[in-house]
Amino acid sequence: MTEIVIWVVKVVVVWGALLTTAAIMSLAERKVSAWMQYRYGPNRVGPFGVLQPVADGIKFIMKEELVPAGANRLLFRIAPALSAAPAMLAVAVIPFGYTAVIAGHEITLSVADLDIGILYILALGGLGVYGVILGGWASNSKYSLLGGLRASAQMISYELTLMLSIMAVVLMAGSLDLRQIIEGQRAFLDWNIFYQPLAFVLFTIAMFAETNRHPFDFAECEPELVGGFHTEYSSMRFALFFLGEYCAMTVMAALNTTLFWGGPSVPFWPDAPWYVGVVAFIVKTSFFLFLFIWVRWTLPRLRFDQLMRLGWQALLPLALANVMVTGAVIALTAN
Amino acid sequence: MVILQRKELTLAERLYLPEILRGLSITFRKFFKKAITRQYPEEPLPKDEVTRGQPRLVVKDDGHLACVSCGLCEAACPAYAITIDGHEVDRPIEREPERFEIDMLRCILCGFCEEACPKDAIFMSDELELADLTRAELVYGIDKLKRPRSALQKRIDYVYRINDRWRNSSSTP
Amino acid sequence: MAEFLFYALALVALCGAAGVVLAKSPMFSVLSLLASFFALSVIYLLMSFPFMAAVQIVVYAGAILVLFLFVIMLLDLGHMGSKVEFSTAMFRSPAARIGAVVALALALAGLIAVQRGALQQAAGAAAETGPRDGLPQLAEALFGRYGLAFQATGMLLLVTMVAVVALAKRDRRKGPGSQGAQGGER
Repeated sequence: MTEIVIWVVKVVVVWGALLTTAAIMSLAERKVSAWMQYRYGPNRVGPFGVLQPVADGIKFIMKEELVPAGANRLLFRIAPALSAAPAMLAVAVIPFGYTAVIAGHEITLSVADLDIGILYILALGGLGVYGVILGGWASNSKYSLLGGLRASAQMISYELTLMLSIMAVVLMAGSLDLRQIIEGQRAFLDWNIFYQPLAFVLFTIAMFAETNRHPFDFAECEPELVGGFHTEYSSMRFALFFLGEYCAMTVMAALNTTLFWGGPSVPFWPDAPWYVGVVAFIVKTSFFLFLFIWVRWTLPRLRFDQLMRLGWQALLPLALANVMVTGAVIALTAN
Repeated sequence: MVILQRKELTLAERLYLPEILRGLSITFRKFFKKAITRQYPEEPLPKDEVTRGQPRLVVKDDGHLACVSCGLCEAACPAYAITIDGHEVDRPIEREPERFEIDMLRCILCGFCEEACPKDAIFMSDELELADLTRAELVYGIDKLKRPRSALQKRIDYVYRINDRWRNSSSTP
Repeated sequence: MAEFLFYALALVALCGAAGVVLAKSPMFSVLSLLASFFALSVIYLLMSFPFMAAVQIVVYAGAILVLFLFVIMLLDLGHMGSKVEFSTAMFRSPAARIGAVVALALALAGLIAVQRGALQQAAGAAAETGPRDGLPQLAEALFGRYGLAFQATGMLLLVTMVAVVALAKRDRRKGPGSQGAQGGER
């Protein structure tokens, strides 16, 4: 009975946190961009504009839902859900802390501990693109179609780099289980960033491409494609696409923290209580979420051929070499 | 003809990452600068005598409109925003407007009416805000257009000064 | 419960497979295939082999089908209706009829095998090894016992790829005049 209660509480807390993060990110995106451009950003709804996401949500619900003529209604309707659901599911295996002890119960701080946690996230990450592709195709619009087309090409190219950069970490941990990966990084000097800096750089770049963020946001690409795959979407379906994007960003930021920055590990305080670990995890994840926005308002978008050349001719060989060197070093030191 | 020699990129530049970090540091420094946005309704726009806002009708010190409903502004208006019906009165100016309407939705704030007016009866005020819930409310009649001369005095002086400059300049353009 | 789930998923997989063949638009063929892969992946999960389930999704659904979608969208093959339509026109050819009969026979054989308890046996074997031991065992089998076959498969795929590239390249060198209707779109 208590197990079920604990499980339900974990589910509610994690998904609540994820959706809240998405809401905060929608505000933070505008606030940070404003601050970087000597502006204030939204500051009318509530103190400092903190209620802006609520106002946006109400507005989205009130808007009319349009389905373009000649669009495939079935696919057009399920595409936003296909885009948002994978990211929301992927967060389940992220370990956001070590083991908590509350009222005598030992609680592992993640919704589910899968042996193949990383594969699970990668599988769902690969599915996330279906929403974009199908949304783009079903809209019966040239801009949307091109957006979906670009998203599919980009996703295939960068998923390889993403997986290979993760594989280097997996080789070091000897497990696909995210919890084992953070257990191996408890001490500050054991953080994977010190052993796998190249994998970290590759993962971070591929992370931007996987979530369709600047400077790789070819699926949206306002100047050329108006809005890309979501050009024809309105109301809550449009909001769902955005929710999916922000959830995917949050998951990727959390994954980056887990893989390279020790997850909930606190530097120079090995026996920190569990809640300090959770705070450390949140701080590290927030930094990467900030990085997403920071990069967006700093770098211009690449050209599509540059994107492909970068992915196939620079990142992929580097990632392959990194995996081979890591494997060789591990094989040699094991003997 | 100028031949631009494109600079060879150094290795650090071709790696992108150092340059990206440099760019990031620039945006991060801007992050803490003070915002220069004007918070409009609370911080009103700066106004001056040259501010060409919405046209307003001058009410002379004796309480009557300066307008004699000659219709020159109506003819000068490029947007056909002005409608005037006049009638005769016993006062020395002999005529005054019965109806003087400016459709503020059509008005383009060009100031031609001000230039056309022979009686110094219409001037561009410094009033800029224009908002309402219906179109009918935005067709301003005399009651909404009339302003005491003192309220428009700065603009009137400015226009006189400009016109004097024209009059006194001997050279033809 | 597990048995019921298996039958439900098997039905989904079969319907998906049928949809691949029957759907009028290639787009819906791909989506039917996706549904079929999904059902297969969950069946792997039921057999307590999560690694296989995840790989099924990562490789097939996440990469190969996306590639299919890419090609369909690039060549504008997915003629879109606002409804999902199926067609049985292909069964007019005798070869297709024979194929369908063979497929039905295979499905029937599978059903009979399940009835005889093959599924229970397989599930029992999987339960013995357990999910935790599945991965190292798979790796050992792949890279140890079947290592040569595994490498040979890799070589075969590589050769196929090189051949495809060579074929595509030769076509292009001839110039657009001899390429026919399909090449004209480039």
